[in-house]
Amino acid sequence: MVNRIQDQSPATSVAAPSDSTGDRVFRGIVVVCLIVLTLMMIVPFINVLAVAFSSQLGSMEHGIILWPRQFSVDGFKTVWVNLDLERAFINSAIVTAVGTVLHVALCCLAAYTLIQKDLPGRRLLLAFILATMAIPGELIMIPLYIVNRNLGLLNTLWALIFSGMVSGFSILLLRNFFASVPFDLAESAKLDGASDFTIFRTIYLPLSQAGIATITLFELVGRWNQFLPVVLYINDSKKYTLQVALNALVTENLGTSGMSMVTPNVRMAGIVIAILPLLILYPFMQRYFVHGLTLGSVKE
Amino acid sequence: MRTLQRMRGHLWLYVMILPVIAYFCVFVYYPLYQGVISSFQEFKLLGGAHWVGTQNYTDVWNDPKFWQVVRNTLLIGGGILFLGFFPPILLALGLNEIRLMLFKKTAQTAVYLPHLFSWVVIGGMWIYLLSPSGGLVNELLGRLDIGPIRFLTNTTLARGVMIVLPIWKDMGYSAIIYLAAITAISPTLYEAARIDGASRFQQMYQITMPMLKPTMKVVFMLNILGLLRIFDQIYVMRNGVIKNAIDVIMTYVYDTGIQKYQLGFASAISVMVLLATLVMTAFVWKITGFGQED
Repeated sequence: MVNRIQDQSPATSVAAPSDSTGDRVFRGIVVVCLIVLTLMMIVPFINVLAVAFSSQLGSMEHGIILWPRQFSVDGFKTVWVNLDLERAFINSAIVTAVGTVLHVALCCLAAYTLIQKDLPGRRLLLAFILATMAIPGELIMIPLYIVNRNLGLLNTLWALIFSGMVSGFSILLLRNFFASVPFDLAESAKLDGASDFTIFRTIYLPLSQAGIATITLFELVGRWNQFLPVVLYINDSKKYTLQVALNALVTENLGTSGMSMVTPNVRMAGIVIAILPLLILYPFMQRYFVHGLTLGSVKE
Repeated sequence: MRTLQRMRGHLWLYVMILPVIAYFCVFVYYPLYQGVISSFQEFKLLGGAHWVGTQNYTDVWNDPKFWQVVRNTLLIGGGILFLGFFPPILLALGLNEIRLMLFKKTAQTAVYLPHLFSWVVIGGMWIYLLSPSGGLVNELLGRLDIGPIRFLTNTTLARGVMIVLPIWKDMGYSAIIYLAAITAISPTLYEAARIDGASRFQQMYQITMPMLKPTMKVVFMLNILGLLRIFDQIYVMRNGVIKNAIDVIMTYVYDTGIQKYQLGFASAISVMVLLATLVMTAFVWKITGFGQED
């Protein structure tokens, strides 16, 4: 059911033969509305791209910029080298990579334990994990700050890696995937003397690749965009991640000052650098995000 | 005794879940406890804290700025909740009418795109787009001889921007949830309607819409709980001029707790919001009938 969204929906596929004039007018209106909407989503990004690839002077000229003015990559050079976005980019890459690997590994391990039907205390463990989903991280930011301070994690990338290292959402999603693996497979492996960890590694992980891919992609995006934990735990600008470094660069408010030291082509180049890794992931995301979305409708 | 033996037989399974349990203890349950404790304490800059009873709660209650941010949160969050409710539904219904797959996919890809990016990217981008000096929006308005409008230095307009932008950003995301629900509707319903001579619009209005009700409830519930958590968008887009009009509860907790180091005061706000969230969750579950079989 999950992948059907990609295909034509059943409602439209059978509609073909009888199309009244009314239906055609109706569809025409829908198409026009959708084109307008698509433009509203796309044009701002085209503007950002065009400005990013414009020269310094070109980017400051008035007028609608939808194509680079005096094509140049100066903005990228300035933001990467002079404003040292490189360091922030590397920090983000480290936190994203390490954080995602740990997240996926730990959540997989826990999900495997939770599908064992005859495990004493299984329901208790499940409740313990489910309850964490009712507590939004923002609401405990102050005590989390205190905990990280007491553990000596402030101003370290570890604080960022630990933040959201495990989530009830991911565990539940993986658990649903694991639960759909035929139980007989594990049973017969057990009779052959395989240990739980071997069964987990050789049967469950390979058969749940779609689930693992979903979690990995969601986590990569979430990690890359991580913001509150960084402004919470990091003071030292050497440890800034891309989002926070970029924040300092792009939010210097044009509305109030009017003038700015950083020209638009530099700001927009920063934005392009921040979205580029996500654009590369996007085609893969589209294949999997529906898995994540439909989790909400799965009940225990 | 037998349970104990069975548990020993499964030792490795417990070891596998141990890191997760330990993590939740340290980074969720302990902070929750610590937060409640902190809300009854006052912290010193050099470390250490002492008990002050319910002083923090009285301070919060008597703080006009607190009530201001509560008001802002309800205005902005409420705006997002209600104005943002129908656009994704209409979008999903619209996408469902499209036959040309290439167009459908392109539109779907485009509308989901902003959801993928952080608020720093979206906020930074729109600060530029809305800028009175050369921003795209004011350039377009200029063609119509309007403006330039200073969107982000006018308190009313800024609130409007804080409501419209998240709708723009997340519309595609919710639409895909609805689209998935539409795909699950049985085709026989449409066939029957067609035999009765129903037009496409009638089918949409009388079959698709009612069938989406359960999904609408779930989306609404999830959104209502997100209302009190708004932080990133405000933190990124605020400036000195509009700060008082758009600061929300979570940015105030951050400002007082982390910037001013009034950890006790900020914890007291968090505990109050947490209680409000729990009450709201229970209330919303009740009115939407979530958790019961529908």
